[in-house]
Amino acid sequence: MMDKEKLRKADIFSGGVIMLFGVWIISQAIQMPMKDSWGGVQNVWYVSPALFPLLVGAMITLLGALLVRKALHTVGRKGLMDVLNWLGSASLVHYLKTPAVFRFYAMTVLFFSFVFLNIPRIDFFLCAILFLIVFITMFYFDDDALLKKMLCFYLIGTIVFLAFFSLGLSDTLEASLPYPGDWLTLAFIIAYCIYVWTLIRSAPPLRKKYRTALILAVVAPFTIGPIFKYFLLVPMPTEGVVVAALDALWYWDF
Amino acid sequence: MMLFDRIGTFFGIVFHLASDPLNIAILFGSVLMGIIFGAMPGLTSTLGVALLTALTYGMDTSLAMVCLLAIYVGGTYGGSYSSILINIPGTAAAAATALDGYPLACKGEGGRAIGLTTTASAIGTTISMIFVVSISPIISFFALQFTSFEFFLLAFFGILISGTLTSPDLVIKGWIAGFLGLFLACVGRDLLQFYPRFTFGFSELDSGVEVVPVLIGAFGIPQIIQVLKDRFQIGETQKLQRIIPEIGTVIRNIPAIIRSALIGVGIGAVPGIGEDIAGWVSYGTAKNTSKHPETFGRGELKGVLASETANNACVGGAMIPLLNLGIPGSPPAAMLLGALMLHGVTPGPMITFEHPTFIMEVAAILLLASLAMFVTGLLLAKQVVKVLRIPTQIFMPIIGVLCIIGSYSLGLNIFNLYLMLPVGIICYFLTEMGYPIAPLVIGVILGPMADENLRRALMVSQGSFMPIFQRPVSLILFIIIVLTVVSQFDWYRNAKNKALQRILNRRNTCETILEEDESER
Repeated sequence: MMDKEKLRKADIFSGGVIMLFGVWIISQAIQMPMKDSWGGVQNVWYVSPALFPLLVGAMITLLGALLVRKALHTVGRKGLMDVLNWLGSASLVHYLKTPAVFRFYAMTVLFFSFVFLNIPRIDFFLCAILFLIVFITMFYFDDDALLKKMLCFYLIGTIVFLAFFSLGLSDTLEASLPYPGDWLTLAFIIAYCIYVWTLIRSAPPLRKKYRTALILAVVAPFTIGPIFKYFLLVPMPTEGVVVAALDALWYWDF
Repeated sequence: MMLFDRIGTFFGIVFHLASDPLNIAILFGSVLMGIIFGAMPGLTSTLGVALLTALTYGMDTSLAMVCLLAIYVGGTYGGSYSSILINIPGTAAAAATALDGYPLACKGEGGRAIGLTTTASAIGTTISMIFVVSISPIISFFALQFTSFEFFLLAFFGILISGTLTSPDLVIKGWIAGFLGLFLACVGRDLLQFYPRFTFGFSELDSGVEVVPVLIGAFGIPQIIQVLKDRFQIGETQKLQRIIPEIGTVIRNIPAIIRSALIGVGIGAVPGIGEDIAGWVSYGTAKNTSKHPETFGRGELKGVLASETANNACVGGAMIPLLNLGIPGSPPAAMLLGALMLHGVTPGPMITFEHPTFIMEVAAILLLASLAMFVTGLLLAKQVVKVLRIPTQIFMPIIGVLCIIGSYSLGLNIFNLYLMLPVGIICYFLTEMGYPIAPLVIGVILGPMADENLRRALMVSQGSFMPIFQRPVSLILFIIIVLTVVSQFDWYRNAKNKALQRILNRRNTCETILEEDESER
């Protein structure tokens, strides 16, 4: 959490956004049936589906306005101007490039690519291994310069994946090679591992961390995954080459 | 006779649960897992309950409750390990424990402190269990008299009080978080007319937002981002000697332990307020009532006993409104509510009719969990402490994978992940700006109850709000809500202070006149 003075300045904006959000809720709620008929039933205001959203929207708008008022009262006009000036200055750009913010970007990119791009298309085990290798190496090495390089490499890979799936290459290749997305992911995992090795090979302490990261990134999915898949009977979000191999092993008639 | 019947039923359930080896294995396994989750800074008992909920999906309700309550009890207690040994509370609930626990560890009495916290936590949980059994029938009886207005006001009160007491910054922010939770609860087709609200054409949103993925996102993702963004590092661990329960010290402090347990149960029973507040209030009370308050903060055993007894007593306290009113008493209890719903149990006044022995079963599990925690704490503490050596950069990504597979497995729906992640990111920003997350979660859970009961109440009264003022419970709840709100405003505080000042002045004037009269006589 930020310190009190910064919080009050941030409150002006968070309160403003919340107030606008409340107004949006109200604007959506008033489009819901209030007194008119819905589904053949003549409505009255107190059973309208809009009643509760209107109450919630009104309260959010009111509380947002109160927060803005309180924040403005505390920081004053000068405080507001300081924030506006900061927003238009080079300090904002400088802030957006700080190591802490970069770490936030890295996590956001990893989570969003994992959830929205990889999980629906790639075998769960492979995308979990990729996620863990990248995540652990980025943060366990505790080096911001390395993190930037690894993030760039991962971003390039993500763009390749995006192109591969959005251009329909996956479907085209499927006819000749089963699970093309999975093989591409495997290739990317190997490429990433080699790239990271080239980055850290001259630093013995990082080499030890690298080994640990690789082992855990493989062991964790192969511990968590089978528990869900074979003991709790939860099918994986996407089942590809690894699940097919595990299935063959699990259901093998000895 | 009825009392003996209840006691008989209770011990029958305890025996039945304890006689099944699977129950015992799950109980000890979950307590141990809870202790590890509690001990690891960055992980919380709420997250532990959230992640384990996914694993209990295939279990029967009774076994699932053993699993979830055991991790809750273990997680609340486990926070004391890192508080005592590295001066970083494993959970917010153990923050007060660090004040005296760490100085004790620095003096070489870490083992003694952990032994005492283990005993105090077990006693706290057991006392709270007694309250669950004894108070629940009374609350259930009163709750059966409640009409829709009372339930609407109760849900509203739960969100407001949770926002008021959990906000780390301005109270308004706690309320805003609560109403944002209520908004999320509005998403989906409304229960009375089936009208789609805020669904944007997504059929996946028709049944509303799934509670468990939202909870996992709200508690898990911000935690991961915060820990890794701020480069949180676990400090050097103090050495741990032999762990002994010190029964003599416990017996000497029995009145203080009972007082702390009562504080814990009381605070736990207030909707949405967690173990952290119970720990602090109990610690403050112990300090204020001590003959030597100056020793607090320098390794005072009573401080450690007070906070640990209260935070574990809070577990049972949180069960009371959860089971009888369907209102979670703490964030982990909110997770438990989600888990109970998954297992087809709807907590509320009807629970005693629909599942007659369920409350007894919960109490029996609490008793067994406190015993398991006591045994595990004394025997395995030295091994558990080793997990504090695992770097956060390693376990946080693995927790991320668990959050994702856990959210997906509840309903086997990838859309749950699409929901969980944005909620998690938004909750991270809210946390950074001083908005508490607990009221948001309570809002998501209590939203349908508030919405449905408000409209049902108005249907019965033909659109009139007068029943609020005509029914005693509604009126009391309404007055409490109004007082909770207005007490946060400066003009109310000024007016109250002026009125108090005027009363004091008048009293002083009267006393002066009386003294003058007496002296004249």
